[in-house]
Amino acid sequence: MSVKIGDVSYKDRIDKGIENEFMRQAVSSAQGRFRTGRLSQAEELGNWEDWRQLGSEIRTHTLENIDYYLQQLSDQVARRGGNVFFAETAEEANDYIENVVKKKQAKKVVKSKSMVTEEIGLNHCLENIGAEVVESDLGEWILQLDEDPPSHIVTPALHKNKEQIRETFAQKRGYDKSDDPEELAAFAREQLRKDFLSADIGITGCNFAIAESGAITLVTNEGNARMATALPDTQITVMGMERIVPTWEDMEVLVSLLTRAAVGQKLTSYVTSYTGARLEDEIDGPDDYHLVIVDNGRSKILGTEFQSALHCIRCAACINVCPVYRHVGGHAYNSIYPGPIGAVLTPLLDGYEDHKELPYASSLCAACTEACPVKIPLHEQLIRHREIIVEQEKKSPVAEKVMMKGFAKWASNPAAYKLSTKMARTALKPWTRDGNIENGPGPLKGWTDVRDFPAPPKQSFRTWWSNRQKEGKA
Amino acid sequence: MAIHNRDTFLSNLAANLGRPRRMDGVERPTYSVQPQYDVLNGYSTDDLISVLQEQCNVIHTDFIHTNRDGLSNVLMDTIARYEGKSIIASNDKRNQVYGLDDIYSRLDQELDVHIWDHSLGEANQRIAEQADVGISFSDITLAESATVTLLNNKDNGRSISLLPKTYIAIIPKDTLVPRMTQAAKQLHEADAQGVDVPSCVSFVSGPSNSADIEMNLIVGVHGPIKATYIVVD
Amino acid sequence: MKVSLFITCVSDIIFADVGKNTVEILERVGCEVDFPAAQTCCGQPAYNSGYLQEAKKSMKQMMRAFKDSKYVVGPSGSCVGMLKEYPAVFKGDPEWEEAANDLANKSFEITQFLVDVLGVTDLGSTFKGKVTYHPSCHMTRVLGVKDAPQTLLNNVKGVDFVELPVKEDCCGFGGTFAVKNPAISGEMVKEKSQHVSETNAEYLVGGDMGCLMNIGGRMRREGKNVKVVHITEILNTQEKGGGIA
Repeated sequence: MSVKIGDVSYKDRIDKGIENEFMRQAVSSAQGRFRTGRLSQAEELGNWEDWRQLGSEIRTHTLENIDYYLQQLSDQVARRGGNVFFAETAEEANDYIENVVKKKQAKKVVKSKSMVTEEIGLNHCLENIGAEVVESDLGEWILQLDEDPPSHIVTPALHKNKEQIRETFAQKRGYDKSDDPEELAAFAREQLRKDFLSADIGITGCNFAIAESGAITLVTNEGNARMATALPDTQITVMGMERIVPTWEDMEVLVSLLTRAAVGQKLTSYVTSYTGARLEDEIDGPDDYHLVIVDNGRSKILGTEFQSALHCIRCAACINVCPVYRHVGGHAYNSIYPGPIGAVLTPLLDGYEDHKELPYASSLCAACTEACPVKIPLHEQLIRHREIIVEQEKKSPVAEKVMMKGFAKWASNPAAYKLSTKMARTALKPWTRDGNIENGPGPLKGWTDVRDFPAPPKQSFRTWWSNRQKEGKA
Repeated sequence: MAIHNRDTFLSNLAANLGRPRRMDGVERPTYSVQPQYDVLNGYSTDDLISVLQEQCNVIHTDFIHTNRDGLSNVLMDTIARYEGKSIIASNDKRNQVYGLDDIYSRLDQELDVHIWDHSLGEANQRIAEQADVGISFSDITLAESATVTLLNNKDNGRSISLLPKTYIAIIPKDTLVPRMTQAAKQLHEADAQGVDVPSCVSFVSGPSNSADIEMNLIVGVHGPIKATYIVVD
Repeated sequence: MKVSLFITCVSDIIFADVGKNTVEILERVGCEVDFPAAQTCCGQPAYNSGYLQEAKKSMKQMMRAFKDSKYVVGPSGSCVGMLKEYPAVFKGDPEWEEAANDLANKSFEITQFLVDVLGVTDLGSTFKGKVTYHPSCHMTRVLGVKDAPQTLLNNVKGVDFVELPVKEDCCGFGGTFAVKNPAISGEMVKEKSQHVSETNAEYLVGGDMGCLMNIGGRMRREGKNVKVVHITEILNTQEKGGGIA
């Protein structure tokens, strides 16, 4: 896999999402729970806006000095016995990791949830060289067994119900019990425990790398990341280059924001910070440690109006409040990064050609911007994308261009504009029934497919106003 | 250890930022707001224990408050409740201070008690994996989130709080702080003074859980299925 | 106090009553209202669609039209919110930067103007009926006006107020979004219509005709009997004994 998931057209993806009743019900109920959790945590703190401000200042400072902090991080990791590889592209990252796997003659790799390894398509590369790759996050494991892409960045299997999961376990792993979530999870525990114990290499992502210390912080509830970092002798961390903070103190603030914004928890069950290779006489942890720092298109975002998109801490709060996401689901975005942050990031990482519809898949309601714990102006960045698509990429439809040229002429010419306020009623008369238009022409058609459009009134405001002025006010 | 491709990579970042590469002299700014210090500010240790107790309900963790004299009974009761036949515990200096050494030798007559012993190598992990109960001390306890901070080392393996079916944290009262802020500050100051932080710092808040199946909370996935905190005066 | 009415193009063309009510309310609280006839559209349809050059033409016309105004007051959180974006759009433009700042600083949404500028929270209005309120996205999240409409509504006698479930959710209008992504927009407005029905309200009140046109159009299509009214209509109803004339 890469950023892009498949080749289905935008319209077909939207229709498929809207028709998927189960998925929409699941997403809607999940959004409701996420919303309640996030809001109650914010309310309990009482000064959530201060926390957001702090989060935003930490991210801004870090990104503005990212070269310095990555240098410090890599020095510290090396000092603590780790290897650090800076990968400008997905290929470079995959090649390096493949080499480690080959050198270790590793047969089994156990992974904990990582978006960046989805992004670079790591699993596929490792499987191609004969390694068995096991995803250990429960949601990711379900998707891996079913060969299905994630639809959410925190709860990747949100679109699946327990009957479907039972079926997958039965077909792929001979599961013969009920669809009770506890039983399903117990089965996963038993199956994956064997994998953790027998894996040669553990691969994880990274929530926050602490520059001053070289520590990698992982935030999980299941404990799979702890397993993957404690048991195998070789360990590889893959991090998007922006997943860095200066100090423990900054990490602490961002973790507090992340767990509250993501799932409404004060902290997740496990927040684990590990540094380099294990120390002398330690049993747990790797004796061979590698940190792979991935650019893969991120550096191009630095110094642009989109820089703050790199502030993202992957909490999915924007996804959880987005009404568009609620109705179409994650797969409609055709990107491993769905929702508002996906609509912003995907064209930046993977180009406009395959993703030019995404910035328009938003009513610009700004719920995302309001929810973001690090204050990324998401809906404004969607408008910036639209400007680029129109003015630089020239990918907007011809009819729209003509309409907008017409708009500019109309709205900059008071006489023409005034005339239209008088003529609108007459112009729409052929389609008007009972004061409304139920089957509109041209651009009105999309509107009247789902709702009525009101016809202009007999007396326009301007007529009323000028009569009133003549009469010396009513 | 090796660092590969760093200079070209970081120079490219600096170029995109439109300035020369920054190799030193970057200071963290004083942020305009610092709300993290206000949380539970001015709470006494007893107040913090109440906060901890309340949060334990939220995270499905049993909470027991006792003193050193009561610890022995409380611990044995908890192990019995967990139907613990095999136990793995950290080799902590505090085992002696809190009388756990005695308790463990008494328990070892009926049960299978293993104290982490790095000289046995990976056998420790295998024992932990088979154990019913893991027991270790909290080094810094965060009241707000009901979190035990475990500074793992050669005598206190990461596996103890991870692989057994259940987990018991012994929480000395004086390890209580309001929240993660204070733990982070200690670690930050250690780094600033050139003291190496542990190879693994685990912030553990209750048993493992997941909401990956239809958003239903499942307690106990990869890590322990149950957890008890014992606060000791 | 001299106030210029910014009617917004939607009300200029379709919802004449919104303009009338806004004028009458402003006069009732002692303002001297004028209507700069050269005003057109705030530019939002083009701006939100990525047509910045086209949007700027429209914006410049608005800056010309309101050049001499002391206050500019409009019955739409969204359109006034657009005026507040002008400084960002014209930043560094020697010819227009000052005018953009000026217009942004003196522009207010009607309920915001009444409550925050004039300090008026009770217009002495009476309106009998079961009422629910949709707080539009741009009014609350872009312009930041969250309390003023509710404060004014609370002081209208006779109103039986019922809270709209998940009121902060977008109705699916989104300007050109409704035309460019009709399927998604349609699902959003269906959901909003459902939430309105759950309140059993007779009136749905809002502060933005774009949203109300969308929700009202959907409810009419579904044959629902809920009346959709702009907040100025409620605020401008005095002792007439219920409902709107």
